[in-house]
Amino acid sequence: MAEPLELVIIGGGTAGWMCAAACAARLVPAGVRVRLVESEEIGTVGVGEATLPQMKDFNDFLGLDEVEFMKATQASFKLGIEFVNWGREGHRYIHPFGTYGRPIGEADFFSYWIRGRQAGVAARLDDYCFPIVTAWQNRFMLPNGDPADVRNAFAYAYHLDAFLYARYLRRWAEARGIERVEGRIIEVERDGESGAIAAVKLASGERVAGDFFVDCSGFRSLLLGSTLGVELEDWTHWLPCDSAQAVPCARSQDFTPYTRSTRRKAGWQWRIPLQHRTGNGYVYASAHISDDEAAATLLANLDGEALAEPRVLRFKAGKRKLAWSRNCIGMGLAGGFLEPLESTSIYLVQMAIMHMLTLLPAKQGIDPALPAEFNRVMDVEYDRIRDFLILHYLANQPDAPLWEHVTAMDVPDTLAGKIERFRHRGHVQAYRDGLFGPPSWQAVFVGQGIEPRAADRLADALSAELLEQRLSALAATIAHGAASAPSHADFVARHCPAPAL
Amino acid sequence: MSAPVERVVVYGGGVAAPMAALAIARAFGRLGTQVTWIDTAEAPSPHAALVGLPDLVSFHRLLGIGDSALIGSASATLNMGQQFAGWAGGGDTFLHAYGDVGSAFAALPFVQHWTRARHAGLRVALEDFSLAAAAAKEGRAGEARDPATRQAVRHGWHLDAAGYAALLRAACERVGVTILPGADARPHDGDGSLERIVLADGEAVTGDLFVDADGALVGLLDPQGAAPDNVFCDRVIRGSAAPLDPLPLYSRVAAHDAGWAALIPLGDRLAVEIAYAGARMSDDSARAVLARIAGRPVEAGETEPVRATRRARPWVSNCVAIGRAAGAAPLLDGAELLLLQLAVAQLVLLWPIDRSVMPEALIYNEELAGSHARVGDFTAQHFRLNARNGERFWDDARAAPVSAELAGKIDLFAARGMFAHFNHEAHVEDGWALCMAGHGVVPRSFDPQASLVADQALMAEFQRQLRAVAVDVRGMETHAGALARIRSGGG
Repeated sequence: MAEPLELVIIGGGTAGWMCAAACAARLVPAGVRVRLVESEEIGTVGVGEATLPQMKDFNDFLGLDEVEFMKATQASFKLGIEFVNWGREGHRYIHPFGTYGRPIGEADFFSYWIRGRQAGVAARLDDYCFPIVTAWQNRFMLPNGDPADVRNAFAYAYHLDAFLYARYLRRWAEARGIERVEGRIIEVERDGESGAIAAVKLASGERVAGDFFVDCSGFRSLLLGSTLGVELEDWTHWLPCDSAQAVPCARSQDFTPYTRSTRRKAGWQWRIPLQHRTGNGYVYASAHISDDEAAATLLANLDGEALAEPRVLRFKAGKRKLAWSRNCIGMGLAGGFLEPLESTSIYLVQMAIMHMLTLLPAKQGIDPALPAEFNRVMDVEYDRIRDFLILHYLANQPDAPLWEHVTAMDVPDTLAGKIERFRHRGHVQAYRDGLFGPPSWQAVFVGQGIEPRAADRLADALSAELLEQRLSALAATIAHGAASAPSHADFVARHCPAPAL
Repeated sequence: MSAPVERVVVYGGGVAAPMAALAIARAFGRLGTQVTWIDTAEAPSPHAALVGLPDLVSFHRLLGIGDSALIGSASATLNMGQQFAGWAGGGDTFLHAYGDVGSAFAALPFVQHWTRARHAGLRVALEDFSLAAAAAKEGRAGEARDPATRQAVRHGWHLDAAGYAALLRAACERVGVTILPGADARPHDGDGSLERIVLADGEAVTGDLFVDADGALVGLLDPQGAAPDNVFCDRVIRGSAAPLDPLPLYSRVAAHDAGWAALIPLGDRLAVEIAYAGARMSDDSARAVLARIAGRPVEAGETEPVRATRRARPWVSNCVAIGRAAGAAPLLDGAELLLLQLAVAQLVLLWPIDRSVMPEALIYNEELAGSHARVGDFTAQHFRLNARNGERFWDDARAAPVSAELAGKIDLFAARGMFAHFNHEAHVEDGWALCMAGHGVVPRSFDPQASLVADQALMAEFQRQLRAVAVDVRGMETHAGALARIRSGGG
């Protein structure tokens, strides 16, 4: 390769430094010059962050040491998300990072569960899922590597301090050849002929030019939105929450290996246990509650002493119509926003990074097939998550104005048929790309009260007696396996204790 | 409570009807479901042969069809790939082999490294790195002992269509399918669903669910539902010639100036067929071209028109169309048997819960439409990417519209050697790579991460892989040896 490609990352939050770290691992040694422009004057949105199991893949891809990473980010383990009061008041379920049951015949386990349910011989679905049973006892263990063992049938993610993660990745990336440029951007310069971004000018007078730009500037979407004029596809009508208040509180005794989401009058409240504190926030629709009332609700529902004043965030659900336009990709909040109900923010950054690495254009110019594919796959990711989030809102009781709206609204065509098919026979269509396989859909459907009327007939081949035996044996194996795990607090204290801050 | 389907009526002949009857009886017979097959006595075209892809092998496990029976009754030979000859207008050939192409290394797909090396002057074709392709060309099948590569090598079958149909019929009899003669049978509908089929002798057969392998049933319920599909070749002539010796492990599809001809090796004969555009080639010339391509005397059948229609709603009310009744398959790439298998499997998967209301139809229709489109794309790529410039048939074929999905797939591979995946893909990445590269597409650029491997290391790795392929090929069986082992029950 002749002249090296010059890549410039704008913004140094979680998205910016994740992207920089991936570039340090995979592009810098391949001859790409990568710089990251950030200003210490501009804060980042980073709050306590809940993630998905894919994040482990990202860290492994970089070659990070898991224990060191967890210590550096005050991280804890996460086996799923507990939804409280979703579906109906007083109810709780976990959307796990694992599957239900194990094969007990030629139909899938879920079909046997439906049959068992109707025959009155099945326990609740959660009891057939190792990570759920373990999570509810506040226990944790790593998958034991034996494919035949229920104690291996799950994946795990992390709760972490996203600010610390960005700082950790910054050190890591700078040590591997990423050039950090300090400064506030005062102007974005475009090429007169092509309209592509040519450079950013800093308050110091410095000009940072590049061939390709990654916009990680957060909500303001400085390059992709403000400069290139790529509009936001607005999903507010389906996802009306537009505000959040976040506050950390002191760590409580209840050190859960799961995130908690509690439904509230005008939205929902998150709870994310880290080693040094617990992250909390109230995501709400400002049309249905005042900021003051939201803050009061949040502060009244902490299980530890508040460690700061609640911080207000404003947003709009949606995605940029093109994630890649001209010579610029928008990642993280600059590319779109979906409320963190399913912990998808870091996942979306990760997907954008991985696709960028493989589709990065050569210096000579951009082959249109490359942005076309990038935009196609990112659209698939966003649309899938959107539909899954809408399902959470839809299947509820209309017990407050927000909930009256969301339970009565028109849903995207892609979602409408899914619900009826699930009701009819528990059918969940598996798809090729994008998040949420059948167990996730099963968890939320059943968790929020949508139960199938019948099961796959193949499940009828097992006699009622055998069905009951196998279901109860499985629940017992799982309960036994879960009881063998240490407490989450003990496991973290032994495995990856973080220094006090 | 829902009312289960208790009586199923399968209507039609050929391979499709007995395959569906067998699959249903094996899955649901033990739940008391009664399966009746009204055999319309439609036989496969004389001389017809089928190309079965590797997925058919696992499907046969579900159907309870043994490999040795295939060899005995359907003159089956192993199918490790399909060779394309002359699609660029010269003596060019490439093999679409069923298996891996090279081994991924440095955390990147092999194609990326190959593309980079091509840009640096490497002349070795992509298929030379494929163990499946190398083995098939050397007449070697089975598995190498202590393999030096970790490449998957898969095989399907070449089958005599009439023999295969007879085999399926015998299996239906064994599992208790009631077979009734159905020539001149007449279907009757009422209230938008099928009620009964009246046989020639006056017997009326009723059912909760009707499976239509013929097209007459679904045509009664949805008379306007069949839309014509564009085809490049509207005529086909099938024939037979003396068997090849030794038996090749792949079929050959040779382009001619107005279409293509296929040679499918069977145990007791060489099945041949020529497809052509009637407007550009006379039947007589087609016969002559077929004999030339076969390289031996051919006993050919009548000219058959290619009917290509597709239904948007193959499942209407209580009637489920499968195979050709649902939509004509492309004539290449084993598409006919593949789409039939996918439809039958989908029907078993979506077996209706309740005979009075079947919303499963919506899912089935979506799934089939998706499979049809993606399988169609695979065959369409050959016409899109042909390089027989200056020949009217082929210039038109190249310019013909393709789906947005196929256009995107070709664009992305040509730009970066990557694959745009959609739902319902029926062919694996490496299959696409062998075909697109075989048709002459060398990606214009590669993943920048490929440059992480030093030039020297890359060349050493390529040499290592080529050596490993050669070593593994030598450790495999001959085709005749493999067939003899399978026939004697050796797995």
